[in-house]
Parts: sequence; structure tokens; C-alpha cells
Amino acid sequence: MYLGLFLFPWMLMYALSTLAMNHRAYFVERYGAGPPPYETEREFVYDGAFPADADLRTISRQILIAAGLDGAHGVTRRKDGAIVITRHDLTTPRRLVYVPSDRRVVIEKMRARAHAFLERFHRRRGYATGYALDTIWAVSVDAVIVAMVFWVLSGVWMWWEMKATRGLGAAAALGGAGLFGLYLLML
Amino acid sequence: MTFSHLNRRLHLYLGLALLPWFFMYGISSVPFAHNQFFEQRDKAKGLPLWTLRSEHSVALPVPEDPHELRRLGAALLEQAGLAGATRTNFGVYRQSPMQINVYSYSFWKSTQLKYFVDQKKLTVEDRRFRWDHFLTGMHARGGFEQDGLLQRSWSVVVDLVCLAIVVWIASGLYMWWGVPGSRRWGLLAIAAGTTSFLVFTMRL
Repeated sequence: MYLGLFLFPWMLMYALSTLAMNHRAYFVERYGAGPPPYETEREFVYDGAFPADADLRTISRQILIAAGLDGAHGVTRRKDGAIVITRHDLTTPRRLVYVPSDRRVVIEKMRARAHAFLERFHRRRGYATGYALDTIWAVSVDAVIVAMVFWVLSGVWMWWEMKATRGLGAAAALGGAGLFGLYLLML
Repeated sequence: MTFSHLNRRLHLYLGLALLPWFFMYGISSVPFAHNQFFEQRDKAKGLPLWTLRSEHSVALPVPEDPHELRRLGAALLEQAGLAGATRTNFGVYRQSPMQINVYSYSFWKSTQLKYFVDQKKLTVEDRRFRWDHFLTGMHARGGFEQDGLLQRSWSVVVDLVCLAIVVWIASGLYMWWGVPGSRRWGLLAIAAGTTSFLVFTMRL
């Protein structure tokens, strides 16, 4: 019970985000395919210096810290030399484009859309980002997985302990298992 | 029957009926959350993921309208001798201006077609079975884009599972409140969980 009370926000998020993803066709029809568009938020000149042998991750980290946006991100270098950082912010994903020739950093933020936010939440992983909070999030996701398996096992055990519900409970369990088995064979 | 009784029974029977889905979503989240582990483990086997099954000479016009691609996908599946697959699940996308990819899948099998437009060539490849792919495929299955009653009914059940989770939360909270002895610890668990979740939402 206490595990359920602690983890209910996770379960609610996974349920609502799955609903949104299951009805993606509706959102595609309404907003078009692909992620929401970016819009310019601000820009500044980065006057820091990079180490001579700095790799892309070092550069992106320095720029993000300067912008006050450090956190999980991806980084690539465009053919024209500009460095594009995609900051995987859960509520407001951002794109930072650093142009080395004039040291200008343009920050764009993704337009807010509820279904896209839910989907980002659902797909969020954490172990590989190198940020502590992301790792803790990944551990919490593992805890949800363990809890789900535990709820299944403890639920079956609690049901079996209540003799009055065994008949109807068995019918519900067999009906569900039968339908699931049918899908396994047919889909 | 009192509301409390109805609430308990609904919580129980809904859980028992949807137990396979709930269990599947739990277990199948493991390969999603630990994707790198499973990829490295499979890479160590040194086996190719895709095996060429056949090649065909095909000259079908490619529609400009992306909405029409699905029809081309069905025609390509038919050319490849996978007509049955057109009645199950498949998707189509433009890999490049001169390449159209079609993927046809079930819980157990996955086949990909590559149509090289300028070479008028169609290749058919089968994916090697992997348990982690089987689980993630089942986890990710959903949506109402596919034709067929069975395909759509699975998506209806996915909706039902989502709604059931909301019902379990609401009925669980109601049952917890009905046990005065556990209110204090329960409130603490709710406060800790909600606060942690909000921190993640704001800071991730």
C-alpha cells in the first residue's frame, strides 16, 4: 500500500502518457507529424575559452553552464562548424546553436504541447546521461518496474486469501489470460 | 452492496482481468530502461540482426503525397509475397528520396522491405528473434493507424489498461483512507512521492 501511495504519480503519468501515445493519430492530424516547432527565446555572446583539445561534450557543457541550462543533452557539429546542443529539458526542451566565428549562442525553446510533454516523460531514461538527477530518475523507473511485478504477485496472493472472491476472480483472471493468449497467437 | 464494497471488488476484478497486460508492461520496461545492457549482450554473440530472404524486380510509382505511401507499402508487401501481412501490421516511410522502407511485424516476427526506386529493386529481410525485442514490441504496440478489428481491439485494451490504472489509483486512495491506522504513514508516502515527482518534473 505505501509503495503504491509513494509511486502513484509515476503510474498516473505512465497511464496518461500511454493514452496520448495510443491516440497519436489524433494529435498528428491536429498538429502535424514530427516534434513541436522551436521558437527563439534569447541569444548571447559566449566569451569563455575552450581547452585546445576540447571535445564536443566539453564544449556543450561549458555553453550550457554559461546559459544556466546545464543538464541532459545531445550535441552535434554542423557542416558549417556551428555546434548544435539539444537540451533534453522535460518541460521545455531547448536547442542551442553556437556559431564559433562570432561566438554567438542562439537559444530556441520548443513550443509547449501537453501530449508531447507526456510522451517525453514516458520515454525518459537516465543511466547514460552522466547527470546525477537523471540517474536517480532511472533508479525510480526501476523501482516502478519492481513495484509493478510485486503488485501483480501480492495482488494474486491477496485475492487467493479471500475465499469469497475466488470464483469470480478466477473467471476474471482466466478471461483476461485467455484474451491475452489469443492476442499472442494472432497479432 | 456499499460503495466501499463495490470499490474493493472493482479494484480486485479489474486487476485480475488485466493482470497479463500489467505484468507485461512491467517486465517489458526492463529492456527499455536497460537498453545498452541488452544491446551489448546481443552484440557479443556476433550474429547479424537481419537476414536477406529474397530480392525482387519491382517498378512501382512512388506517390508524392506521404499519405499515399501506405498504399504503396501494401503493394510492395504483395510483390514480396507477403500479402497476408497487408492485413496485419505494417508501416511505411521514405528512407531517402530513392528508397522506401516497409516494416511488417507481429509479436513474433519482423520483416523489412527496402524498395530502391532507381534500381527497381526490392529486398526482403527477416529480423532474428530476440526476447528483448519481443517484449519491447509488445510494450510499444498500440495506436489506431492499422486496419483490422483484432489490431484495433488491442489498442482498445491498451486504453482500458490506462483507464484501469487511474481507477486503481483512485480506488486505492479511497481504500487507504478507510484504514485510519495507516493514514499518517500513508500521507507521508504520498507527500514524499509527490514531492520527488515534482522535483523530477521541474529539474530534469
